[in-house]
Amino acid sequence: MLGLALGVATISSIALATASARRGFELSLDAINGAATHQLVAGPRGVPETLFAEIVADRADAGLAPIVEGYVVAAGQSLRLLGIDPLADPGFRRFGAVERDGGLKLLRRWLTEPGTVMMSRRAADALGLDVGKSLKLQVAGRQYGAVLVGLIEDERAGLETLVITDIAQAQEWLGVIGRLSRIDVKLAGDEAGRRQLANWRARLPPGVSIVESQRRSSDVAALTSAFMTNLRAMSLLALLVGSFLIYNSMSFALIQRRATLGILRALGVTRGEVLGMVLVEAAILGVIGSALGVMAGLWLGRQMLAAVTRTINDLYYVTSVNEISIEPGTLLVAVATGIGAALFAALVPSFEAARTLPQLALRRSTLERRAARGATGLLGVSVSMIAAAGLAIGLSNRSLVAGFAALLLLMLSAALFTPALLRALATLAAQIVGGRSITARLALGDVAASISRTGVAVAALGVAVAAAIGVAVMVASFRQSVSDWLGRTLRADIYVMAPGPGFSRPERAIDADVVRALVASEFVVEHSATRRVSVESPLGPVMLDALQPASRSLSGITLLDGATDQVWPAFNRGDVLLSEPFAYRHSLRVSDLIELVTASGPRRFRVAGIYRDYGNDRGTVLMSRSHYRDAWGDDAITSLGLYLAAESDSSAVIAALRAKTQGQQALLMHSNREIRGLSMRIFERTFAITRILYWLALTVAGIGLLSALLAYELERARELAVLRALGVTPTGIAGLIEVQTLFLGLVAATIAVPTGLVAALVLIEVINRRAFGWRIDLFWSGQEIATTLAVALAAALLAGVYPAWRSSRAVIADHIREE
Amino acid sequence: MLRQACVLGCVALLGCNGETDTTQSGEDAVSSPDTRLEALLGGVEPSGFALALAPRAFEFPRDHGPHPEFRHEWWYFTGHLDGADGERFGFELTFFRYALAPSSPAETGASRWRSHQIYVAHFAITDVARRIFHSAERRARDALELAGARSPPLRVWVQDWSVVSEPSGWRLSAADSPYSLSLVLEPAVPPIPNGEQGLSRKSKEPGAASFYYSIPRLTVRGELRRDGRRLAVTGAAWLDREWGSGALAEDQEGWDWFAVQLDDGSALMFYSLRKRDGTRDPFSAGTWSEADGSARQLPGTEVEIDVLDHWQSPRGGSYPARWRLRLAALGVNLELQPVLADQELDTTPRYWEGAVDVRGQRAGAEVTGRGYVELTGYAPAH
Repeated sequence: MLGLALGVATISSIALATASARRGFELSLDAINGAATHQLVAGPRGVPETLFAEIVADRADAGLAPIVEGYVVAAGQSLRLLGIDPLADPGFRRFGAVERDGGLKLLRRWLTEPGTVMMSRRAADALGLDVGKSLKLQVAGRQYGAVLVGLIEDERAGLETLVITDIAQAQEWLGVIGRLSRIDVKLAGDEAGRRQLANWRARLPPGVSIVESQRRSSDVAALTSAFMTNLRAMSLLALLVGSFLIYNSMSFALIQRRATLGILRALGVTRGEVLGMVLVEAAILGVIGSALGVMAGLWLGRQMLAAVTRTINDLYYVTSVNEISIEPGTLLVAVATGIGAALFAALVPSFEAARTLPQLALRRSTLERRAARGATGLLGVSVSMIAAAGLAIGLSNRSLVAGFAALLLLMLSAALFTPALLRALATLAAQIVGGRSITARLALGDVAASISRTGVAVAALGVAVAAAIGVAVMVASFRQSVSDWLGRTLRADIYVMAPGPGFSRPERAIDADVVRALVASEFVVEHSATRRVSVESPLGPVMLDALQPASRSLSGITLLDGATDQVWPAFNRGDVLLSEPFAYRHSLRVSDLIELVTASGPRRFRVAGIYRDYGNDRGTVLMSRSHYRDAWGDDAITSLGLYLAAESDSSAVIAALRAKTQGQQALLMHSNREIRGLSMRIFERTFAITRILYWLALTVAGIGLLSALLAYELERARELAVLRALGVTPTGIAGLIEVQTLFLGLVAATIAVPTGLVAALVLIEVINRRAFGWRIDLFWSGQEIATTLAVALAAALLAGVYPAWRSSRAVIADHIREE
Repeated sequence: MLRQACVLGCVALLGCNGETDTTQSGEDAVSSPDTRLEALLGGVEPSGFALALAPRAFEFPRDHGPHPEFRHEWWYFTGHLDGADGERFGFELTFFRYALAPSSPAETGASRWRSHQIYVAHFAITDVARRIFHSAERRARDALELAGARSPPLRVWVQDWSVVSEPSGWRLSAADSPYSLSLVLEPAVPPIPNGEQGLSRKSKEPGAASFYYSIPRLTVRGELRRDGRRLAVTGAAWLDREWGSGALAEDQEGWDWFAVQLDDGSALMFYSLRKRDGTRDPFSAGTWSEADGSARQLPGTEVEIDVLDHWQSPRGGSYPARWRLRLAALGVNLELQPVLADQELDTTPRYWEGAVDVRGQRAGAEVTGRGYVELTGYAPAH
């Protein structure tokens, strides 16, 4: 039951954490989008504000609201800044009653005083603010003073990280004078609305497109889908291990009571009744276990949420989820899965129990014989599962689900293979060492003779360890690949970036005069400049890196497709390069064309090459900055790579550069080494959840082994007592049990190592490729494998300690008297 | 008339609705019109703005244009339209200017959205044949040419609605699906100052006055579009122009404003200020004008008003709905009947502004005519 509870806890916690992260994001989008059905959007520089004026001067029937938005930081917390025109906006965002002290007074302050903002009560509380208090906002390293003039009296979730200000103020703070992030449009869902939409499409100036608000939100949410699928698969693995445990404990419960069941059958209880009885029991166990699991899951989910949110913030988009959103549906699924797993796991043993003839049930040997036969039969199933896994990978081209299914089949087949292997190895080992040690022979012979009990426990441990090895090897390979890639790509000595939340936010720009000051510094020999933005395309929003390379930059880019002598000249002519994930995701190759919406409308760019990039799993388009500038009219710079004279001390230069830009813009400046360390830290953080999960699976397996051994020991109490009576010392008994557990651990390891390595291959070549689109160089980390194995063996030995201690202290007479 | 309340309505910062077709529920209400009115009256000092303190010699066309030194101002057109096939319509097109501060925003490096002036416009059509009252609101700040008032030549606009001077008068344009208007208005009489040579006192406070003139009759021709179909229309309109920096007194709750155009060319404007205790404020006043432009000021004591009926708004509140106006000194006795009961604009705050039919006697002779009535302060606080 504990195993079941842990399994359910894992599933529900993952489900809760991911759903909460998603929900939090959706809620904040809802709050921000309001009633808008569509948005007018343009490139990274946004929509010219004059477009809004032109449209409303022509026809303002359709609700239109200009929006300037971006991210700011207040007291270390990332906040979404929404600049609105309150006069145009009311039809869109109803933040509820906003002022009790008279609307005009507030509007007057809003429009005539600088720096006025409003936020929800919760946001204000989080920042320790009250109406009338001032606060400091940082935008890309520039600091501004703001004053809280009112509260949004709306306690909807999703508003906790929102700051509202006037559109004029937002333009000034975000440095986007003359531009709008978007224009919200409210169209009716009827025929008139569709006509209006068609009308919009036909009349919009080049470079401006109209998109559905909903689709745009889902585009953003879709960023994390692969990440979420991975998490879910991990939680299923925990349940799989949990199911083994249920099978294990149900079998034991039935083996223990086989005498009772036999008597019941002899007394005329039908098979169906026995079956029903056992299943009801399993269901009750399932309900209790699931209930406990859900409760634990709620707690665990809260812990997990922080990790999930942080990963999303690191890699995808800025979201802040402060509380877990408990959706009954999510929990019901977890409970149903738990109960289903309990029933399914109980099905085999209960059929077993029901099928047994009355007098046979009284005999344990029958069961063991049957188990031995079954083990051989399972071998066949196991082999066919491996074949099925191979087929699943071979036949499915890009399906991530198929990849996970194959992985699951692989694990199952290893589990099914276990009983036969265990029996064979135990028999073999008993023969080999039997001559030398009577304890060992007794112990191993007993293992071979009781695979119905030990088989499942070993299978569970084996699967857990295999998964752990698979994940460990995958993570190690990934880490190595990323580390190598960073080493090759990061060529500059110092990287300068405008701080702030968001991956490709246009407001994250280094002020032009700061750029000039930095590159003019006497320490700087050469520099590269990058503008990172998101642009529209028929494929959805596309991340674009516009690079102005330094002489050493290009050699840092690893080309996977395209010849160096052709790629770079083409790049300089305006062709683009695609990152590997981008090319994979959209099935693009060298010489293909990709359409991007530039400031003057859609334009096709030829793909000159594909390059390696682990920075963004959605993929990136790389183009030269001069061509980007021509096409989008955006001269801003997101980051600078500074190349110093040989033998320069990066940290000393950073200090000098900081002093030089003092009072202008607080920029992030990192030496090459620091940025590598930072990148690797983000990498480790991303896999923190994976680690938590595999420790959970190992714990579940360990507990399974412990409970199996305890039950085993209980059942053999009489045998052990007889051994004691025959003169075996308590230490001998303890040794016997430890030998058994160690052997079980070793067998689990024997299964786990090859399975784990194959699992690692599947994770690297299939799962990672399909989920993220990148290839990882396989890196066999002996150390990781050894660590995992040591943990597995330690778990086995540890699981044996308590049963061994109990058995050795048992009072012999009590157990023999039971005869 | 005193339409500050309408301006006040626009300032519900994020809570009120821009379109009146949408049903508003209580939760959207920001605060009661009353508290907002008080906020304006008590909360905002008119300091820094020019005040209407003494009579003024109006100068045209200059005074048709904006007076930004004053806090608020409006161009208020109402009128009656007749289609060629006998269909009849009432219309209202109003532009309010409101300054939030007497200063201009600092210019340097600033967003073009920075502005201290806001504009609100209301547009309503009373479709008598179809018994439909349609109204809409537009709001914008005086920035990026979203809204503004310029003169000469006169141009006042909020987004796609505007009044623009033409050689012989003004062109009015407004549209809100399914109705749109494009009208040319020509004054049939010269502007007539109201109050004491244009100085209209609203309470004993010296600053609580405004400059106020009316053009009681403008001939109208143009077209009205309904569901995309054009209807040629002619008719008569009324222009009210008022600007000032003061506001209603604490004890004033609202007003009833009457604008009557009689078929003999004469016209009556009268506003009745209501006090909170239900009585009429002694500062209520009006103007009687003849077809030749001659005018006579009417103190409140000379106009007697009986409410003959009431109308219950489905959105809440009970409005007077039929009136008898008696001007004993002029021998005038008129009965005003709304052409449609529900001509309430669902703005914040709500108010009733609608077309009425007029019949009665003047010096013993039967007269008929048309009019517009505005009723404010009746919609209950949410």
